[in-house]
Amino acid sequence: MSWLRIALRNVLRDGTRVINTLLIIAVGLTALLVGSGFMLSTYDALQEIAMRSEGHVIVTDDNPDPALGGTHQQLNLSGWQTLQSSLWKDERVVRVLPRARFEGIISKGNKSAVFFGSGVDSKEEFRVHGPFLRTDGVLNPWLTPQETPDVVLGAQLARTLNATKGDLLTLHTQNRHGENSEITVQLAGPYHTGTPEIDNHSLMTSLTTVATLLDTDNISQLSIYLHQREASAAVQTLLQNSLNGITVQTWQQRAELYHKVKAIYDRIFGVMGFIILVVIFLAISNTIALAIHQRREEIATLSALGTNPSRIYANFILEACLIGLAATTLGMLLSYAISNGINLAELMMPAPPGKTEGYPIFIYISWPHYLITSAMLIIVAAFAAFLTTYRVARTNIARTLS
Amino acid sequence: MAIRLELAAVSKSYGHDKNQITALHEISFTLAEGEFLAVQGPSGSGKSTLLNICGLIDPPSAGHYSLNGTALSQLNTKARCGYRRREIGFIFQRHQLIPAMTVYENIAYPLLLNGIRKKQIKLDVEQLLVRMGLIHRRAHLPKQLSGGERQRVGIARALIKRPQLVIADEPSASLDHQHAHAGLQLMRELNREYGASFLIASHDPFVIDRCDRKIELLDGRLGAST
Ligand SMILES: Nc1ncnc2c1ncn2[C@@H]1O[C@H](COP(=O)(O)OP(=O)(O)O)[C@@H](O)[C@H]1O
Ligand SMILES: [Mg+2]
Repeated sequence: MSWLRIALRNVLRDGTRVINTLLIIAVGLTALLVGSGFMLSTYDALQEIAMRSEGHVIVTDDNPDPALGGTHQQLNLSGWQTLQSSLWKDERVVRVLPRARFEGIISKGNKSAVFFGSGVDSKEEFRVHGPFLRTDGVLNPWLTPQETPDVVLGAQLARTLNATKGDLLTLHTQNRHGENSEITVQLAGPYHTGTPEIDNHSLMTSLTTVATLLDTDNISQLSIYLHQREASAAVQTLLQNSLNGITVQTWQQRAELYHKVKAIYDRIFGVMGFIILVVIFLAISNTIALAIHQRREEIATLSALGTNPSRIYANFILEACLIGLAATTLGMLLSYAISNGINLAELMMPAPPGKTEGYPIFIYISWPHYLITSAMLIIVAAFAAFLTTYRVARTNIARTLS
Repeated sequence: MAIRLELAAVSKSYGHDKNQITALHEISFTLAEGEFLAVQGPSGSGKSTLLNICGLIDPPSAGHYSLNGTALSQLNTKARCGYRRREIGFIFQRHQLIPAMTVYENIAYPLLLNGIRKKQIKLDVEQLLVRMGLIHRRAHLPKQLSGGERQRVGIARALIKRPQLVIADEPSASLDHQHAHAGLQLMRELNREYGASFLIASHDPFVIDRCDRKIELLDGRLGAST
């Protein structure tokens, strides 16, 4: 004779009501699992964007170079080539990408626009952005002064200038001495990022082009890409300790969008999760209260036969756990099916704040996460059953059985 | 004959102040070992109240009583629960079998509560099932049984642990004559075999006639004892 079997028979005996409760819990769990699966994949995507665009560890120099005036306050990092070579020897490092920020006006014929430009390593730069920077233009390194250097433009900037692949454009800016400087470049293609500030105003050209235009090989930052993101903090600490007067940050310190979106989503899903837990708590309380009400005579009989109240409570808690177990199993299967369905359907999310493009909805399916969440719900169900039995399972044996 | 249950001026009142009802007035009697005693009286005379006190379900408001020399009037709820578990068997009017338990489990339940080993339980329960002609019903749930079978399971559950005292509150009231008499027959047989004292509330003359002795309750007072 086993308590488990008896609890199971009791649960089955209550049929319809149990099924309703079971469905409430299963649907609640599904909402939690699909919602959090989406949330976690969004966090991952935003982290991915941050890491791909800025690197895992970012080296900058915040002390303005006194030799540089005017608009070139951002080009402070000098002698970076030595640092780059030494970083290449570190086996944790995959790439070390220099980036020189500069700004000015770009024109084509009588059309012109303000730009925010980057001088980049033309070979390596386009290997790190993955799906977050899409272009079919190839930025060739500028090897001889006889050739026209290449430029790639944010898609919207290209549209503003009415420029297409192969067009010649002029970059106007001031060099490090404060003198006007300009260079003719050829459009190798537009690029899309989905972020309007970038697509409307940014351009990229090779580092050598920028050096010629500005008459300095200083850069704004060195972006260090690692094999494993977990090594970021260690590499940061190492660099910070060996470099004087230089700022070394990890991607997390610069991932503004990630932190902003995470704060919003955490709050939304926190509230949602809380509401679902309350609903489950109430559903189980209700089911158990009704079961106790219907089984008053049975409780009185068990009590007359000398069963301790704690044993009687335990039976109802066991029943709640069984309902919880069945419901969470159903909920996990539902979540698995729905998540896979959404992932296969390749549905798109509307653009998040600060973006013009939506992104494909992807729902994470993680069994440890599923099991932990289910266990949490079963604990909530057991707790609800405990409080309910404690509140209503006291019976007057004589009056109930008379 | 050793005395089992002894009541001395036991009273029971319900409610407070103006609404107070005294259901039992200073009841005194003794129930000898192995005695089969009927409590007779019309509805509302206090039979159930008396049986609930003797069965340690409710405490008395005043008076003393003891089972086999152990004073019972002062026991708290928990101690009464333990006493019921160990020493007292109950036969209920509506049988009160546990719906989710099979015949076997219903009968085995009191032994399980008392921590008897599984092997011993199986031995005892199966023996009694055979004895009561219920062995073919062992795996059935109460709802699959006839009224007479349910009564027999109820009687078996009360006696399986060989209690000192068996309390039966109108055991035959929900049965037809034939089954009621069969049930009583069985209770008498087990009373002789197991030596338990029986306290039976009834107003069925057939039942009362087959008891060793009867006491009569009227408005909560003890009348003639024969
Ligand atoms: N729990 C109770 N609360 C208040 N009054 C009760 C309670 N139980 C019984 N009584 C009263 O006590 C008296 C005796 O009842 P009871 O012992 O059930 O009689 P019987 O079993 O002989 O029909 C009745 O007047 C009944 O109304
Ligand atoms: Mg009665």
